[in-house]
Amino acid sequence: MASDRRRGLTRREILKAAGVGALAAAAGGTPRHVRAQQKTLKIVQWSHFVPGYDKWFDGVFCKQWGAKHGVQVVVDHIAIGEINARAAAEVSAQRGHDLFMFLSPPAAYEKQVIDHTEIYQAVEKKWGKPIDLGHKSTFNPKTKKYFAFSDSYVPDPGNYRQDLWSQVGFPKGPDTWDDLRKGGKAIKDKFGNPVGIGLSQELDTNMAVRAVMWSFGASEQDAEGRVVINSPQTIEALKYMRALYKEAETGEVFTWDPSSNNRGILAGKLSFVANAISVTRTAEKENPEMSKKIQIVPALKGPVRRMAAEHVMDCYAIWRFAENPEGAKQFLVDYIDAFAEAFKASEFYNFPCFPKTVPDLKQQIANDPKGVPPDKYAVLGNVLEWATNVGYPGYATAAVDEAFNTFVLPTMFAKVARDELSPEDSAKAAEKELKRIWDKWKTA
Amino acid sequence: MAVTGAALERAAPRRRRRVSGATRLGVALFSPALVYIAALLGLPLVLAFLYSVGDVTVGSVGYEFVGLENFRSVVESPSFRRALVNSFVFTIASQVIVIVCANALALALRERFRGRGLVRFLILLPWVAPISLGAIGWKWILDSIYSVVNWVLAKMHLVNLFDPPMWLGRPALAMASVIAVHSWRMIPFSTVILLAGLTSIPKELPEAAAVDGAGFWRTHFEITLPMMRPIINVAVLFGVVFTFTDMTVVYILTRGGPYDSTQVLPSLAFQTGVLGSDLAEGAAISMFLVPILVAVAALMLRVAHRAEVV
Repeated sequence: MASDRRRGLTRREILKAAGVGALAAAAGGTPRHVRAQQKTLKIVQWSHFVPGYDKWFDGVFCKQWGAKHGVQVVVDHIAIGEINARAAAEVSAQRGHDLFMFLSPPAAYEKQVIDHTEIYQAVEKKWGKPIDLGHKSTFNPKTKKYFAFSDSYVPDPGNYRQDLWSQVGFPKGPDTWDDLRKGGKAIKDKFGNPVGIGLSQELDTNMAVRAVMWSFGASEQDAEGRVVINSPQTIEALKYMRALYKEAETGEVFTWDPSSNNRGILAGKLSFVANAISVTRTAEKENPEMSKKIQIVPALKGPVRRMAAEHVMDCYAIWRFAENPEGAKQFLVDYIDAFAEAFKASEFYNFPCFPKTVPDLKQQIANDPKGVPPDKYAVLGNVLEWATNVGYPGYATAAVDEAFNTFVLPTMFAKVARDELSPEDSAKAAEKELKRIWDKWKTA
Repeated sequence: MAVTGAALERAAPRRRRRVSGATRLGVALFSPALVYIAALLGLPLVLAFLYSVGDVTVGSVGYEFVGLENFRSVVESPSFRRALVNSFVFTIASQVIVIVCANALALALRERFRGRGLVRFLILLPWVAPISLGAIGWKWILDSIYSVVNWVLAKMHLVNLFDPPMWLGRPALAMASVIAVHSWRMIPFSTVILLAGLTSIPKELPEAAAVDGAGFWRTHFEITLPMMRPIINVAVLFGVVFTFTDMTVVYILTRGGPYDSTQVLPSLAFQTGVLGSDLAEGAAISMFLVPILVAVAALMLRVAHRAEVV
């Protein structure tokens, strides 16, 4: 036995030695004066609809900013549908990115984020006040806290097939919701192309039905945040949507996801959709002939006003548990300084919340090199006259956010369109649901 | 019988005896499973219960006990009541389809024929492939613009190409589509289980029945099925658990629409808790799954115990 041992180490001894070695390495094997690590700034945001924007943001702006401040900037891109789940996971783990970009106002996270007032103040010194849309999407009037910082928003105009609409007496497309109903019906009867205002549980429907309501003088809440959805104006809006669906649409609008209306109009099937300029930008790249046929109109006018929501609202939030909050604040201030470049890189998709950052915006969009004609996007020049925040005329609160993400309004409209409920009963049901949600968030 | 002092003295050293190596090995082998269950099942379950009786939102920092308030709020919601009914419809309908189809497939695959291995492989594919991929494939197959089903039906002059069926746009059709896709996914799993059960039936029994003049159907319903009952129970119970807790198919195909008509409890819990930011109410919705799953689990254990006894 003794001689065996002298022959070498047993397996048990090797394991012991390895374990002791590993422990020693972990405890004191590394130099005591570890080289100072370079600071990092971790950002998470959606994969932008315009790939060129991500290329500029990651490869140019972040690179230059990182080099200037001696910070390694790490940008993670996630799909639009993963944003909320990812945010919930980061809060739950109290660990994640320094800058988290939402595409809608993240009011529910107010207690988990820093007060962003300081960033607004720093930016305002140079670029003036933000637009009302940005303010109402990121400010809580009760706590007087900015729960996010909004750099930009995306307009939500109408996209119409000029070749079809000109044949039914609307060469410049529909201007009012009534035009949409009349012209849409005429086109469907004559050519078979339906209108594409969604009635499904998805983003674009959420925006479109709000536009209809506001244009008819209705809203889910008033300026003080009280639920006022059960109103004669809402009932009129519901009756209008039911008529539009029956006369000018098909059942496909109940099946849609956010990209369905894009696909529908690009495939030559739909005569009109309410969407961001993603429709026309895609056409310019993939189907130039169709691109010439699709033109843009501002939000449609209703009996009361012309109004639509922003298509998406960029909102950056800095978590309270962020490892580099100071870096994140500085990054946002510097990003706004460079917003003129961001506007160009996004191909006019992202409009500034601080208008002075792009002083020649109207001139730029009136001379678009890809648009046919070049002033195709000029109608977006007065976007602030008709674009507003989700929650209008009040603020974008956590209750508004829950109602938005649980599709209370699309459900109300869809049930009426399908004759499952009368307009009066559907408005009443939606009021009950909204009050239930509003009551919960009163104490949250 | 009275226990004497001497007997107690003799028993005492046995109680103090050191734990044997085999016992220690048994505990060591069993403990990872115990840790796994406690960490990944027990802890989330306890957390879900605590959330459901609290005021937790995705962004809240504290915890306040609110009793059954979330349950009261949930029950008042028409979406929840619809989701509860839909969960049962979804589970029962898909399990009926799965068991009937799996039975037929198992009978067919038991026979020897050229290419049986390939057929078995192809049938298993829906189960082994990630369900999210399969569901996305079905979403395109049933798409309102590019549906290949509608294209084929239109070519056969069975539907109007300009007014085809909206598979995901009408409540009844959407529910049927969701059930069909989920059944497509579950059939291979049940087929494998039933195939194992079929092959374990001694060949002499159907042969003897055939000699006695019993035809295929009589043999199937009076010999094969009764002998397979325990294994069918296992397949059904597993299927119920997988279906009742599944939200992938619903979420990818319809996201609960049109107007909440295909919403089931797991998808509604996700929509309310994570997307709607109200974790407490999302947890309360998911807690309604617990009594049903506990009953199914108890049944499964009973079936397993019976099978052991047999």
